[in-house]
Amino acid sequence: MFDPKMLEDLKAQKAEWEKILKKDIERHGERRREFSSSSGIPSQSLYTPLNLEAEKIDYLRDIGFPGQYPFTRGIYPNMYRREPFTFRIYTGFGTPKETNQRLKYLLKLGVNDVQLAADLPTQVGYDSDHVMARGEVGKVGVAIDSLRDMEMIFDGVPLNSFKRVSTLFNSLGPVALSLFMALGEKQGLDRKNYVIDLQNDVIKEYVCRGTYIFPMEAGVRLCTDVVRFCADNAPHWYPMTICANHLNAAGAGSTAAAAFAIANGIVYLRDILKKGMPIDRFAPLLCMFLDEREDFFITIANLRATRRLWARIMREQFGAEDSNSMALKITSYSHGGETLREPMNNSVRIAYAALGYVLGGVQFLYDASFDEAVSLASEEAVKVAVRTHQIIAHELGITNTVDPLGGSYYVETLTSQIERRMRQILEKVESLGGALEAIRKGYYQSVIGEGASLRQRRFEEKDMVSVGVNIYRTEEEDPEPLFRMNQQSEEEQVKNLKALRRERNSREVQSALAGVKQAAKGEDNLVPAIFSAVKAYATVGEISDVLREVFGEYKEAISYL
Amino acid sequence: MGEKIRILISKVGLDGHDVGAKLVAKALRDAGMEVVYAGLRRTPEEVVSIAIQEDVDAIGISLLSGAHMTFFSLILKFLAEKNASDIMLFGGGVIPVSDIKELKRLGVRGIFTAGTATSQIVEFVKQEIEGRKRGKVNGSFFQ
Repeated sequence: MFDPKMLEDLKAQKAEWEKILKKDIERHGERRREFSSSSGIPSQSLYTPLNLEAEKIDYLRDIGFPGQYPFTRGIYPNMYRREPFTFRIYTGFGTPKETNQRLKYLLKLGVNDVQLAADLPTQVGYDSDHVMARGEVGKVGVAIDSLRDMEMIFDGVPLNSFKRVSTLFNSLGPVALSLFMALGEKQGLDRKNYVIDLQNDVIKEYVCRGTYIFPMEAGVRLCTDVVRFCADNAPHWYPMTICANHLNAAGAGSTAAAAFAIANGIVYLRDILKKGMPIDRFAPLLCMFLDEREDFFITIANLRATRRLWARIMREQFGAEDSNSMALKITSYSHGGETLREPMNNSVRIAYAALGYVLGGVQFLYDASFDEAVSLASEEAVKVAVRTHQIIAHELGITNTVDPLGGSYYVETLTSQIERRMRQILEKVESLGGALEAIRKGYYQSVIGEGASLRQRRFEEKDMVSVGVNIYRTEEEDPEPLFRMNQQSEEEQVKNLKALRRERNSREVQSALAGVKQAAKGEDNLVPAIFSAVKAYATVGEISDVLREVFGEYKEAISYL
Repeated sequence: MGEKIRILISKVGLDGHDVGAKLVAKALRDAGMEVVYAGLRRTPEEVVSIAIQEDVDAIGISLLSGAHMTFFSLILKFLAEKNASDIMLFGGGVIPVSDIKELKRLGVRGIFTAGTATSQIVEFVKQEIEGRKRGKVNGSFFQ
């Protein structure tokens, strides 16, 4: 990339400068033993063209142009000059009615991408009156027992009010998809006119986050059935977002987390290919959820490296020809270091996290709210979160040019180092027999467990710093949350569920559930049968029970090591 | 010191975030305690029955799902019903200050939130259990 003569001069002069640096360090020392984060990629004092040379970076091959392979600089030619990233909020709590109010508030603020948080009973397929739902109804999200709840949540909020509407349900992707499609029909909308986005990535649930239900193979089938259905019926939707986020949060570190996410993605790709759908039919529908919470520049480099590696794998390994199959759409969540103490400081943390993801070329960007370390977001805090996005998008000139850090010696070097490290981890996963086997053999779990212990040790030794918590700590008590949940939500939800069971046509429900059972036993796509059951107002718990009967349940090997 | 301190660490309910629970389990084991780890999705009933079966000195529960008031109360209730209130109950997770006060009033001995050093939890458990064992020796045991 550089003139050899120039590099030689640079090398000589840098050697001189390094002598000066060495003296400086001998005399004054350095603040830290090693300048690194849990990504496992350490930083040097200085980066120069020599680093790019050492990494053998070739501009056209490795960096290139935005909108072109290998998409290091972004997936669109004009990126945010055309349109900013989406203003995305994860929301949902209590009863459908309470969540409906919040959605209307978010719309007023200019939120254009919303992800519905479902409570844990919903995510693991228990109705609100099941014994396992005790104490959990409406807590970490809204309770969704049936289509009726969706109708209430989106009452007066047509699905096309937002650019995208989303939810998780990682073990029950076809149920989530069907709930949205049935709601769209009820609202009189054509599928072409609204956009559904689903996380629908179950594999990581088996090693972190934990909302698994079925054995892994059945879990994967449910996810890929959703992708295949959308490729055939709604190719402008986003039926799967493969997640690194939770793997990193659990301890893997952002580099291993992204590598694991790619490995998990490969499981889904192979499953769909095996069922006969060509790669370019469905790969353009996939997204990835990337995450780095400790290091601003690693955040940027992580997104760039993952995009490049994904593009290369899609072309070289899977023979994709459509550039949309190679251009990885990225979701990120501006959060990470939020603290319970001094919660206003979290707004600063969230803003810088958001900036990192934007400089990395994110498409869909959530913001956490400053009070979310201890409770769900209050209206006041969520407003600051949304405004943070909007300030980054429209003030400050950040979005005036594409990939402003492209060509930075530091960022390009990190990007290459991360890509290389991710490749090594991917090879390790492949050598173990792919992601599912690597999980069965405990490889993911050991990387996550060691990473979590290391993080805790670094935090306790103040190598990983949290301002106001492990340094500059004052004696004040932790604050009370701004937002408190209505404690009557569970009771009200159970009452509504019982009413639904009385009022619906039970013969229709039973026959639709029999259809689900039949489909689950066979090989066909499960979405149509589940869609019928959802439209008949079968509950999430009832559909899940039928699937449990056919597939059985996942049993985790219990170990804390 | 005499016998090893025995601790049950468990998640309760549907919350799958087990990073904290596992870190605490490891720290207690490294401090020489016998740790029984019960994993995810345990009911309060199961937790109490495992605790009694494994003859533990204490139960540590991790909860990040907001369901802490329900589950800690149920565990205390079932411990009392089984005449096992001598088993010390502590926990951690995402739990607001006012709830921590209320849980302590109900009989949960300690609640630890994010940002706690694991060494602090180890110290807490040692002091609580040794205090209780001394109490037992001087009290009911040799009466």
